[in-house]
Amino acid sequence: MSNPPIAAVEGVGTSRFGRQPGTGLVRLAFQAVDEAFRDAGGPRAVDAVWVGSVFAPAGTAQRVLRAIGISGVPVLSVESACASGTSAFAEGCEAIRTGRYRRVLVLGLEQMSTAFDGAIVPEPSDPEGCSGLALPALYAMAATRWLAEDRVTAGQLAAVSVKNHAHAVHNPRAQYSGRHTVEEVLGSRMVADPLTLLQCCPVSDGAAAAVLGPPAPGRVGVRAVAARSGRPWDHTSDRVWGHDLVRDTGADVWAATGVDPREVDLAEVHDAFTIGELVTAEALGLSAPGAAGADAAAGRTALGGSLPVNPSGGLLSRGHPLGATGLAQVAEIVWQLRGGAGGRQVPGARLGLVETMGGGVSVLDGNACVVALLERR
Amino acid sequence: MTIVDPRPRIVAAPDGAGVVAGVRCTDHERCPGRAAFDWPACPSCGGTVEPAEFGPGGTVWSSTVVRIQVPGRTPPYALAYVDLDDGPRVLAHTTEQQPVGSRVRLLGPSTRHLMGHPCDGDDGDVRAEPSP
Repeated sequence: MSNPPIAAVEGVGTSRFGRQPGTGLVRLAFQAVDEAFRDAGGPRAVDAVWVGSVFAPAGTAQRVLRAIGISGVPVLSVESACASGTSAFAEGCEAIRTGRYRRVLVLGLEQMSTAFDGAIVPEPSDPEGCSGLALPALYAMAATRWLAEDRVTAGQLAAVSVKNHAHAVHNPRAQYSGRHTVEEVLGSRMVADPLTLLQCCPVSDGAAAAVLGPPAPGRVGVRAVAARSGRPWDHTSDRVWGHDLVRDTGADVWAATGVDPREVDLAEVHDAFTIGELVTAEALGLSAPGAAGADAAAGRTALGGSLPVNPSGGLLSRGHPLGATGLAQVAEIVWQLRGGAGGRQVPGARLGLVETMGGGVSVLDGNACVVALLERR
Repeated sequence: MTIVDPRPRIVAAPDGAGVVAGVRCTDHERCPGRAAFDWPACPSCGGTVEPAEFGPGGTVWSSTVVRIQVPGRTPPYALAYVDLDDGPRVLAHTTEQQPVGSRVRLLGPSTRHLMGHPCDGDDGDVRAEPSP
């Protein structure tokens, strides 16, 4: 007998994802929140709001919410790099579980196109950021290491991009989609060796939201959600950056639910770069150690495979507006569990996993990781 | 306004080499904690630390070449995570991409910007070269 859900996802919504510098955060947030409230039904009222964003200026949460008719309730802003949206989700779920609030809005939003001219500027107050470690380079070094260990091939890395771009063909909200070949992925412009452009997430604007409430029949339930920050990266091990943090956060969810990773029907995981999806799949136990690359190349993690990963297209194709990403992942899993994902539907999906991972603080194995297990009963 | 440079501090060693001036945990028996920075407490256990120097020798854990625009930098430039002998892993600039597992040594200090933005240019970077 499994434990009951800690909270229900009453409704979800998102904006479109992509470069939309002229749209503004208010309009992006409204698209997400309006859809989430319509989806949830009932009054457009909540007891509290958590807002995840990374680069939004001070006051953004209240500035956006007051323009869409939400004020007078506690509003908390959360920043934990790329895991900001799912960190807001984790806090909202916990507030429901403990009975602190009856109904909570969680919102993630980001406007990258106006914050940077190109890729994210490495943070100058961080030692490695100050040394010129652009985020693609951090992931590139994980890829270099796995290639040197023969743990993955360049073709297997590219297969992740091929798969996720093909998934996004069925996602009208995605920023990019396409039927690429491994050769096209490997032949695209080099960003940080060995990662090519089609192996890197794009610069995106967007918002995503969820309305949370107590568990209820017919609602998608949150079986567990776990959040951690990284420990100092274990320099005595061969494990690449982020692996242990994802593994440990996932372990919290498996321990809380008694679910075996192999029971999961689908997963939305942090594929900001192709290597990230593979490291995450192994760290979560979705793939056996050393098998994630082969799983991607063989189609096991594709739609139609035994455990589809990133049916939405993932960060690589849907786009990666940092603070919005985690809740975009949650929205995708909710649509999948309800059977409403259209051409990218995973048939009979009952258990869906969300994982988001944030980086940018050197020495640590990651700024933050959130893993959540959602279920339709 | 002078901005604190967050990068590891490099101290000159013989033959043009450099070592990182950092700290290690005083609880040598139980804690492997060490840092390439002048931090006030052990990053592994939170305990007390003592000054320590690491390098110049080390092994490349991984490497890449950055080919996108980064403010204050001129691409392409090569980076490596270097596991210093008996020390922490540090991010170092190299003139060419160094293979995983290869031996390198840290170079002596480059000039540091004392005024303005510490990341304007590569002065103050940790640098490494293939071991002679």
